[in-house]
Amino acid sequence: MRGTLAQALLRAVPRLRLVPAPGRAERRREGRRGTLRACATFSGVAILAFATQSLELFRPTGIDFIHRHSPTAQKYLIETMGGGVALLDYNQDGRLDVFLVNGGKLGDPVKLPVHYERRDPAFWNRLYRQNPDGTFTDVTAAAGLADAGNNYGMGVAAGDYDNDGFPDLYVTNYGRNALYRNNGNGKFTDVTAAAGVAAGGWSASAGFFDYDRDGRLDLFVTRYLDWDIGRNIFCGTPFHSYCRPDKFGGVTSVLFHNVGGGRFRDVSAASGIAALKGKALGVAFEDYDGDGFADIFVANDGMEQFLFHNKTDGTFEERALEAGVAFSDDGKPFAGMGVAFADYDNDGRPDIAVTNLALEKYALYRNEGGGQFRYASLTSGLAALTARSSGWGVGLYDFDNDGWKDLFVAQSHVLDNVEKIHSGLRYLEPPALFRNAAGRFEKADLPRLPSVAGRGAAFGDLNNDGYMDVVVSVLGGPPLVFLNHGGKNHWLTLQLDRLGARVKVGNQWACATTSGSYLSAGDPRVHFGLGSVQRATVEILWPGGKEQVLENVPVDRIVTVKEPP
Amino acid sequence: MMGAVLLLFLLQVTPELKQHVEAGLKAKNAGDLDTAIREFQRVVEIAPEMPAAQVNLGAVYLAKKSYREAIPPLRRALELNPDLPGAHGMLGTALLALGYASESVSHLEKAGADDLLGVALLETGRTREAVDKLEAALEKRPDDPDLLYYLTQAQGRLSKQVFDRLRQRHPDAARTRQLLGDAHAATGNREAAEKDFRAALEMRPDLRGVHFALGELFLGSGDYQGAEREFREETKLAPGSAAAACKLGAMLLNLGRIPDALAELRRANALEPDMPETLLELGKATAAAGDLVPAEKLLRRVIEQEPASALGESAHYQLAQIYRALKRPAEADREMKMLQEMRKGRK
Repeated sequence: MRGTLAQALLRAVPRLRLVPAPGRAERRREGRRGTLRACATFSGVAILAFATQSLELFRPTGIDFIHRHSPTAQKYLIETMGGGVALLDYNQDGRLDVFLVNGGKLGDPVKLPVHYERRDPAFWNRLYRQNPDGTFTDVTAAAGLADAGNNYGMGVAAGDYDNDGFPDLYVTNYGRNALYRNNGNGKFTDVTAAAGVAAGGWSASAGFFDYDRDGRLDLFVTRYLDWDIGRNIFCGTPFHSYCRPDKFGGVTSVLFHNVGGGRFRDVSAASGIAALKGKALGVAFEDYDGDGFADIFVANDGMEQFLFHNKTDGTFEERALEAGVAFSDDGKPFAGMGVAFADYDNDGRPDIAVTNLALEKYALYRNEGGGQFRYASLTSGLAALTARSSGWGVGLYDFDNDGWKDLFVAQSHVLDNVEKIHSGLRYLEPPALFRNAAGRFEKADLPRLPSVAGRGAAFGDLNNDGYMDVVVSVLGGPPLVFLNHGGKNHWLTLQLDRLGARVKVGNQWACATTSGSYLSAGDPRVHFGLGSVQRATVEILWPGGKEQVLENVPVDRIVTVKEPP
Repeated sequence: MMGAVLLLFLLQVTPELKQHVEAGLKAKNAGDLDTAIREFQRVVEIAPEMPAAQVNLGAVYLAKKSYREAIPPLRRALELNPDLPGAHGMLGTALLALGYASESVSHLEKAGADDLLGVALLETGRTREAVDKLEAALEKRPDDPDLLYYLTQAQGRLSKQVFDRLRQRHPDAARTRQLLGDAHAATGNREAAEKDFRAALEMRPDLRGVHFALGELFLGSGDYQGAEREFREETKLAPGSAAAACKLGAMLLNLGRIPDALAELRRANALEPDMPETLLELGKATAAAGDLVPAEKLLRRVIEQEPASALGESAHYQLAQIYRALKRPAEADREMKMLQEMRKGRK
C-alpha cells in the first residue's frame, strides 16, 4: 500500500480542499499561547496542576456523572467490568461532547427477573454537551438518551452509520444493546429494533468500521462470556472474589453488515467471525497487512487473542497464531482487555498494544511486515514499566507532539480485594502515560494522581488546542478528565469525512477511527504531533482506495478534508 | 513366606482340616473374604495351637481391612512361634493402621518392612530414622506416591526441628531472620518477608542467598527494577553462582536491555553449562537481538532436556516465532502443534 501511495506522489495529485473549521482558528491561537492559556479557555476547576506535566487532571464544570456499578457481596462479574466513555461532536459545533455509560442497580442478591432501575436518573447514561466556554451541560433527557432499557450498561461505540453527517451511538450492555440514531437536531432515536443490532448476551467493546469498503459503516460487537446473573457462582478461597473467566464458556462476537436504509444484517456466521468462541473485551480495526481492507484485533480475556484478517471478499480468517499476536512472549495466554492498533515506531505499519493484568506485562506487538508481528514488550521497555499494573482503556497518541505516539492506560486490578490475595499488588491505580522516546517507552512523571478503578478511556482534543486530551471512566466514581497543557511543538489535526482513511504526515501514519481502547470511542479526527516542523505534506489513503496528497500544509490547525469524488 | 507356612501346615493336617484350608484359600483368592474368614475360623477351632492357622485367619482379616480383628490371631501366632517375620509384618501393619505406631515399630523392624517402618517412625517422632527408612524404601519404589508423600512430611518435620532449634538458640541471628523471610515468602506474606530479609542483611551484609530471595520476591510482584538490584547484589556476593547470573540476565531481558542480558546469560551458561532455564532465557535474548539461527540452536537444546515441561512449551513457542521470522512457516506450524499437544496432555 505504501508503494502505491509513493507512486501516487510522483504523479499529479488533485488539489485538496482545505477547510478550516469555523471558529477554530481563534481557539488554536489561544492554544498556542502556552500551557496556562490553553487551560484558561476550558472552564472548570483544575484539581491538580503541575508545571512540568503536560497532562492536567481537570474537573470540568457541568460533568457531574457518577458511575454506579452496585457492588454486592455476591461478586456478580458484571460489577467490575464497566463502563465506557465516548468523545463525539454530536451537534457538529466543532467541540467534542462526552457520553458516559452507567451500570445499573443490583440487589444483594438479585431477585429474578432483575430490574436494573435504569429509569432512576442515578443510573442513566449521560450525554454532556460542551459549551463554547468549555463548560458542559447535561443534555441526556433533551437528547432522548434517558431510557437505557432494562440492561446493565457496559460500553459505547460512535460513528455515523447513516452518513447524515452526525455521529450515532451504539451502547453495549449485559442484555440488549441499543443503537441511537442522531437525528441531527440535538436528539437521538432508539432504532435498535429497526436496525436489527440488539445482539444480546454480554456485550463489551464495539466499534464502527467499513470492512467491505462500500461507504457504509459496519458494526463489530465483542461479547465476553457465557455468563448468567441467575447462575452466579462463588469463587475464591478464603477470600471471595470475582470469578476468573476460565470458570465460564466463551461466546462468539457479532459482525453486523450495514446494508443501507438504516438496517444491518448479522453476518457473523457468513463472515467467519462466529467460527470461533472467544472471551472478548476489546476491539480495534486497522489494515495490518496493507491490502487496503480493515482487519480486526480482538482482545480476549484468559485465552489466545484473535486477529481476524479481512480476506477482502466479506469474510475473515483468524490468524493471530500465525501472525505472532496470540500469546505473550512465553506462548502463554493472558487477560487481554483493551487494545490500541496504531503505528508506534513510525515504520508505516500498525502495531498492537494490549492491556492485561498485573504480572502479565502489557503486550506490545511490533508489525514487522509480511503479516508478521514480533513481541516487543521487552525491547520497547514496556514490560518492565507495566509488570505490576493492570490496564484497561488504552490509546497510542502523541501527547507531547514530538512525532512519536505515546501510550496512555487507564489502570486498576479487576479484583477489588486483590491486596488480600497478593500483597504485592494493588486494586486501585492511577492512570499511566508512557512516553515514546523513538520506539522505547519511558514512564512520564505524573505525580499525585489519584488511584482509581480506571476502566474505559477515550482520547480526543477536547479544547481544540492541538494536544490530545483523555477522559477515563472510573468504576463506581466520577470520570477523570485530563487536559493536555501542551507545549511548543507543532501539530496538525485532520477532520476527514470517512472513518478508515489512513493518513501519512512525514514518517507518521494514523488511521481515522473512533474505535479501540476498552468500552470506549474516541475523537474521529486524525492528530499528528510535528515537533519543529512548520509545514507538512499530508498523504491520505481513503478506504475506497483513492489517494490524495496535500502539500505545504500550514501546521497548528485543524484541517477538514473531504474525500474527492 | 505364607506359602512356606501353609506347606508346613498342610503336611500336618487331617483331611477335614485340609478341606477347610483349601476352601478358605479358594474363597480368599476369589475375593470372597467373608467365606475365607469362616473357613479359617473353623481351622483355628480345630487346630488352635498351630501358628499357621492363626496367621491365615489374621491375613484374611487384614485383606478385609478389619485391622482390629486381625490383631488377636496374629498375636497368638507370634506367641506360638515368635520367628514368623510375615506375621510380624502383618501385625505391625494392623497396629499402624489403628494408630498404634509405637507398638508397631518392633514388629515392622522384625519384618524388615522399610516403607511402613518409615511411616511408624515418623508417627512416633523418630523423624531422622524415618527419613532413612523411607529413602531406603524409595530406592525400591522410586515413584510411589505414598512414600514420596511421607518422605516430604518427614523431611519437612526434620527441617522444622532444625529451624525451631535455630530460633530458640539464636532468636535474633541473621540466619534466623533469613529463614523467617523464606517462610513468610512461601506463605505469600511479602511485606513480612522483605522485613526479615532486610534485617538479616543489616546484621550480615555478606550473607549469600538473601539478595537472591529478595530478587525473587520483587520479581513475584512485578517490580523488575527492584529484582534487578537484588540479583545484581547477589552476583557481587556470589560471582560463581550460575543461578544468580541467570536470574539477573532474565531480569535485564525483561527490562529490555538486551546486550546486558546476553552478557549475564552467557556468563551463567559458562558457569553451569546447559542448564535449561539459562538456555531458554539465552535463546530468548539471542532472538531479541535478532540472531535467530543461534537462538534456534539454544532453544532446541532446551527441548532436548525438557521435552515435557513448561520450559519445553515456552521453547516451542519461541521456536515457532523464530521460524515465522525466518519464513519457514511449516516448521513454525509444527512447533505450535507440538505446543498445543503438550498443553492438551497437561490438561
